[in-house]
Amino acid sequence: MTAFAGLPLVSLVVFLPLLGALFVAFTPGSRPNIARYAALGFALAAWVVSLVLLVSFVAGEPGFQYAESMPWIPLFGINYAVGVDGLSLVLVVLTTTLTWISILASFSPIQNRVKEYMASFLVLEVGMIGVFVAMDLFLFYIFWELVLVPMYLIIGIWGGKNRIYATMKFVLYTLVGSLLMLVAILAVAYTYQASTGSWAGAFDVQNLTRFAATGAFGGTFGVLAFGAFFVAFAIKVPMFPFHTWLPDAHVEAPTAGSVILAGVLLKLGGYGFIRFALPLFPEAAHTWAPLIIVLSLIGIIYGAIVALVQPDLKKLVAYSSVSHMGFVTLGIFVFQQQGMQGAILQMVNHGLITGALFLLVGVIYERTHDRTIAKMGGLGARTPVYAAAFGFFVFASVGLPGLSGFVGEFLTLVGAFQTNVAAAAIATFVMILAAGYLLWMFQRVAFGEVSDFLKGLGDHLTDLRPVEAMTLVPLGALVVIFGLWPGLILDLISGSVAAALSAVQQATPVALALWR
Amino acid sequence: MIFSDAVTLAPFVAAILVAATVIVVDFIFPGRKVPALLVVFGGLALVAALVALVGQTEATAFSGGYTVDPLTTFLDMLFVIIVGLTMAFAPDYLEPRGLPVPEFAAILLFAMSGAMLIAGSADLLVLFLGLELMVLPGYVLAGYHKTDGYSTEGAIKYFLLGSFSSAIFLFGLAFVWGITGTTSIAGVSAALSQIVAGSSTLSPALGLGLALLTTGVAFKIAAVPFHYWTPDAYQGSPTPVTGYLSVGPKVGAFALIIRLFAEALGPLTMDWSIVIMVLSVLTMTLGNLVALTQDNVKRMLAYSSIAHTGYMLVGLAAYGAGQLMGMEGLLFYGAAYTFMNLGAFAVIAALQRRGGVTSNLSTFAGLIRREPALAMLMTLFLLSLTGIPPTAGFFGKFYVILAAVEAGGWLTPLAVLMMLNAAVAAFYYLRVVVYMWMRDAEGEIPVMAHGRLVWTGLAVATVLTIVLGLFPSVLLDIVGTAAAAIG
Repeated sequence: MTAFAGLPLVSLVVFLPLLGALFVAFTPGSRPNIARYAALGFALAAWVVSLVLLVSFVAGEPGFQYAESMPWIPLFGINYAVGVDGLSLVLVVLTTTLTWISILASFSPIQNRVKEYMASFLVLEVGMIGVFVAMDLFLFYIFWELVLVPMYLIIGIWGGKNRIYATMKFVLYTLVGSLLMLVAILAVAYTYQASTGSWAGAFDVQNLTRFAATGAFGGTFGVLAFGAFFVAFAIKVPMFPFHTWLPDAHVEAPTAGSVILAGVLLKLGGYGFIRFALPLFPEAAHTWAPLIIVLSLIGIIYGAIVALVQPDLKKLVAYSSVSHMGFVTLGIFVFQQQGMQGAILQMVNHGLITGALFLLVGVIYERTHDRTIAKMGGLGARTPVYAAAFGFFVFASVGLPGLSGFVGEFLTLVGAFQTNVAAAAIATFVMILAAGYLLWMFQRVAFGEVSDFLKGLGDHLTDLRPVEAMTLVPLGALVVIFGLWPGLILDLISGSVAAALSAVQQATPVALALWR
Repeated sequence: MIFSDAVTLAPFVAAILVAATVIVVDFIFPGRKVPALLVVFGGLALVAALVALVGQTEATAFSGGYTVDPLTTFLDMLFVIIVGLTMAFAPDYLEPRGLPVPEFAAILLFAMSGAMLIAGSADLLVLFLGLELMVLPGYVLAGYHKTDGYSTEGAIKYFLLGSFSSAIFLFGLAFVWGITGTTSIAGVSAALSQIVAGSSTLSPALGLGLALLTTGVAFKIAAVPFHYWTPDAYQGSPTPVTGYLSVGPKVGAFALIIRLFAEALGPLTMDWSIVIMVLSVLTMTLGNLVALTQDNVKRMLAYSSIAHTGYMLVGLAAYGAGQLMGMEGLLFYGAAYTFMNLGAFAVIAALQRRGGVTSNLSTFAGLIRREPALAMLMTLFLLSLTGIPPTAGFFGKFYVILAAVEAGGWLTPLAVLMMLNAAVAAFYYLRVVVYMWMRDAEGEIPVMAHGRLVWTGLAVATVLTIVLGLFPSVLLDIVGTAAAAIG
């Protein structure tokens, strides 16, 4: 391996932000800039460490690298076990990248209780990274829940007018899912213990995956347990009909909150499906797949149609997320290599592109304190740089070939065509709708006469500032790079994809015998 | 052997002596709190040391009426911590209201000795004595704020329903004695085994006895539908008393359930565990649903404590279904619940140091700006009560659910129901967090200073809540051996 083989790099990425949060919490409240720069510094440090991981990661090797493990609750065989494979690593780097960008983007919009905000953001980062690197179900669950509290505060304290309603809805939806998942996790661990007679390894993800390959979590048990995992992940993704928290949360969240919500939090669901639901319950996954594919298609169509009629910019982007994330679940549940590769690419690209779109919406909102599409118009004339950036990411989101949005959806559809032509055909058709709502929105905002509303703002309506550009340029660069060389990611994740699919491709669906 | 009896009983005797000493000290320094508090905390340390010392070996006293096993030691320690924490945050609340601290401490210590007697009882009569010794001081404490109408009302309700339930409970014990001819717990268990082996159905007398006993203890732990005294008693009592009542008598009553149902009525497990399951479903669901509508935090926590009773009953039901882990989960949950709930009440009591401050939700508005430390701690305790990791409350739920899943059968849906209940509960706990973090207070509210004792108590509750969540292993062995004592 490499020079860094012996270092606990993964733990470092996870706990650097925690250290940062503690540090920020003890900075003086009267000097918000200390909190801002300290938070940025810690986020950048975590980012650098994650890049070191990325560079020193050996792409070809299967399994987890940089794995660390030590006993935590020996009575139940629970370990503090972390490590990265290609999939985790890609999402970790996505998280660390978006986190520092979000923190930087919060410098000017957040003027109130800055210290608490920055600390919440860093704790949020701990939870998100932890979910992606946890190799123990118990640890995974802890991090999964850890994400909830800071996001709850971020939406609830620094959000818009209706923030308390939105944040409560977000928490309660997520909590219902995750508590059911906890029961399923315990049922899985106990099934393992009952069959092997020992708690050792009962929460170890790799060990359980091997155990699951023997068909141990099959039958009705598997179908029910998969159902519990499904609810938790489907709420996070979010899949239709569990998506209703998302528009509220997105609209009320501060800009950076929306970026992280769309960029990383939604990915937790997709990651959960690939890492846990499929390998642990391959048979049940087949049983559930038709329903999930139908729900994905409904989500893709429904999200697009609702986005089409949204009068609010941010809500439009939020509903476009529902539509785009439908491709992720579709890609996963066709159980094809290209489909899953496409799903993972889509997760990354959606994180970059939608994150950037939320940043751009935030920029215009900061100037105008309004997000109504009808009030905009002619931004291209008044703020050319901003309009150009907006246009770039709109085209990326539409799926223009050469930009990254295209590759993910294309691969997903290729995968889908191999198993389910009807589903693929429907999804392909909806891509036209996506072009419709995004381009129509862009046309109304950027072209035409400068609207009276914007004229009324006078000098307030400034073009993109350097700091704002700094948050967008890295995202734009990545969109181009991944659009031209998707292989950069595909090489990294090939091992993870193969591992996730190996069991599920051989499995046969459970014959449903729930109501004998 | 008189001497060995004395040694075995030493912690219990010490608890009573400490209570008596507090009264004597109050005679010598009338109305002074410092000497009394010195005696209280010194005495509690002495009791704890004796508990630890005596707990080294298993022994019995009173010709087999009192026993010391790991379960006794665990529960005794828990009671000492409960009383210690209560005494840490009570003075700041009592003094501004002109309520004497020394008497309060003495009554509390008598209640503790009662609970300790329950924990160590090996005889039904001792069990009943312990129960009465534990609850009678509770009635007095509930009405401790004599000039406050609500306090008196709550105390009377608590007293009346408590006395009724004690009578019902005693009636049930009489049936058991009548059938088995003995009051020794081991003897009852042995006699019942023979009866159960001889016939497949429960005799009417035994069934009636079981029903009466269940009703009696259901009152004591405030299980639905025997919970009606709880909200008024909790809301009316002075806040430190509410904190104590929500954990002390509850853990004590669970100790009684363990000694009585798990040990004496062990052969009848099949019969009572189904009742426990039904009680648990009703208790957690109703407790949570009613808690949703409360605007008074003390009353809300009263209903939430009912819901937590329901969660603990899930552990008991899992034990009834043959999983010893259910008992371990119950004990762990009891400890976790003690620390987080007392912590939450400590914060409320601290906020009420200034007279006239209600425990309504509005009291908590904007607390994070006014008193950030208290708001952070309250958030921690509420998150723990919700069951968010990494807190003690989370691992308690984890443990109980794991036991329920292990038991299987009807307990699996029960586990799912418990988790759905936890999601409902999240709403009302987080509502307090919303008020603390996301709303602004109306008008200027002066910031209050809090005594060092309060901060110490809060620190202990905080550390225990976090440590039990992050490193539950420290308690797992202890609850393991304690649960193994009943087998």
